[in-house]
Amino acid sequence: MPQLEASPALDFQSEAYKDAYSRINAIVIEGELEANDNYKKLAEHLSDHKDELIKLARMENRHMKGFQACGRNLSVTPDMEFAKEFFAKLHDNFKEAWDEGKVVTCLLIQSLIIETFAISAYNIYIPVADDFARKITEGVVKDEYMHLNFGEEWLKANFDTAKAELEAANRQNLPLVWQMLNQVAEDAAVLGMEKDALVEDFMITYGEALGNIGFTSREVMRLSAQGLAMA
Amino acid sequence: MFGLIGHLTNLEHAQAVARDLGYPEYGSQGLDFWCSAPPFVVEDIKVTSATGQVIEGRYVESCFLPEMLATRRIKAATRKILNAMAHAQKMGINITALGGFSSIIFENFKLEQIRRIRNLELDFHRFTTGNTHTAYIICQQVEQAAPKYGIDLSKATVAVCGATGDIGSAVCRWLSHNTGVKDLLLIARNRERLDNLQSEIGMGKIMGLEEALPMADVVVWVASMPKGIEVDPSSLKKPCLMVDGGYPKNIGSQFSNPNVHVLKGGIVEHSLDIDWRIMHIVAMDVPARQLFACFAESMLLEFEKWHTNFSWGRNQITLEKMEQIGMASVKHGFRPLLTT
Repeated sequence: MPQLEASPALDFQSEAYKDAYSRINAIVIEGELEANDNYKKLAEHLSDHKDELIKLARMENRHMKGFQACGRNLSVTPDMEFAKEFFAKLHDNFKEAWDEGKVVTCLLIQSLIIETFAISAYNIYIPVADDFARKITEGVVKDEYMHLNFGEEWLKANFDTAKAELEAANRQNLPLVWQMLNQVAEDAAVLGMEKDALVEDFMITYGEALGNIGFTSREVMRLSAQGLAMA
Repeated sequence: MFGLIGHLTNLEHAQAVARDLGYPEYGSQGLDFWCSAPPFVVEDIKVTSATGQVIEGRYVESCFLPEMLATRRIKAATRKILNAMAHAQKMGINITALGGFSSIIFENFKLEQIRRIRNLELDFHRFTTGNTHTAYIICQQVEQAAPKYGIDLSKATVAVCGATGDIGSAVCRWLSHNTGVKDLLLIARNRERLDNLQSEIGMGKIMGLEEALPMADVVVWVASMPKGIEVDPSSLKKPCLMVDGGYPKNIGSQFSNPNVHVLKGGIVEHSLDIDWRIMHIVAMDVPARQLFACFAESMLLEFEKWHTNFSWGRNQITLEKMEQIGMASVKHGFRPLLTT
């Protein structure tokens, strides 16, 4: 039986680490910023849940500030231009869906895809993070499960009418996630995060959410692996 | 509800099964994909006891493949097992068996240190390795099949390959205490563990595999190997009974010699049909009746409402526990597989 080799210790102050961190940290900050905007928009449309969504938007804003502090702590300047570009396609798809009044698609992009992407990245990051960032990220993960839950609950309550749109939105947007993960795989590896662990965590959390919403196990397997083979 | 966590024997097998089950997205993928794949429920199962009691369970595919160990994808291998356990627990399953390599990986990589999986705290009392029942069934197979092939255990030398493992050590304990075998040949890699086992059971010779095989009337194979090894039939005694409890099988060879008898070890036959696909998938000869004894252990624990990690850790299997699970096994209609 082979033995588990100890992971090499990470040097948080090395140039290579800080260089990779400048992009990963920027993505996280940008992700929280986009989430803040998206929840504020959703609050306009889902007036019954306005207060809750505004609360979520504020929470995302707090997360963003926490992650900005993580970058400062390592004296890293986040590469925000890279991060904007990184989210551009998902951002455009959200905007387009919003303009067409497709709330289900908007919720899939924000409450399922972006939240799951964040949760899985944070879960894989926590064991390899520096002490300062670990504490902040642990706090954030707890909150993020709450957001995922909002999307799940709403979509579950509206599953019959939302199902077809969810499937189409999944087809359109999930392949983007695999591309995004590929794009940052090397930087993530420098931070001690493995791509297969990220993909697996994403598929588990995303699959659980789809299952809670009302999809069967078979549908979940098909939906959560969509586009992965091509990535 | 009981649970079974299983895996397939190799990548090719996994691809074929994925295509058969109607998941083409998984069927054409290489090892990298399986390293990223999440656990999933393959089917819901109903099992009826010989007493008439009916229980329900679920089979969880962990997506672990033995190639992950062979190619040193150790982290992926450990994630598969922990994620499958978390998946089973989240579904509220009372008692889940860790089949095949699952329990070996859990033990070998000390996964008991990792309790937190995402937003879930693993409760190890909900899991069993199933090794007590497997060891009991293998011993029954040796005791009941040997005379059929003209082997008198009181005059026989029994070699145990993988003697210091959890199942192997329990088999040695039982055979030395309950059967009066003439001699035991203890085969394993770790000398210290071998010495400890030998002094515990008070008999047995420590030996290498090559040296032991020609001396053995019975060979029990319970080593953890990602791939089977070739055995030269001319090196074996005639008659020779081999009970291969490996998954995948320890023996990679087929034998045409009429005096070499190979029994699938650690397999039970149920007295009533079970309506499931999973034993077809792992190519059991009689899929509706035959299953791994470790899986049957979680069924027995559910039948008896012994919702606890009955088999856990390494070298904890006592003769009393083997007898206890053995009695439950007989009561609910399980029998050791005796046909080669």
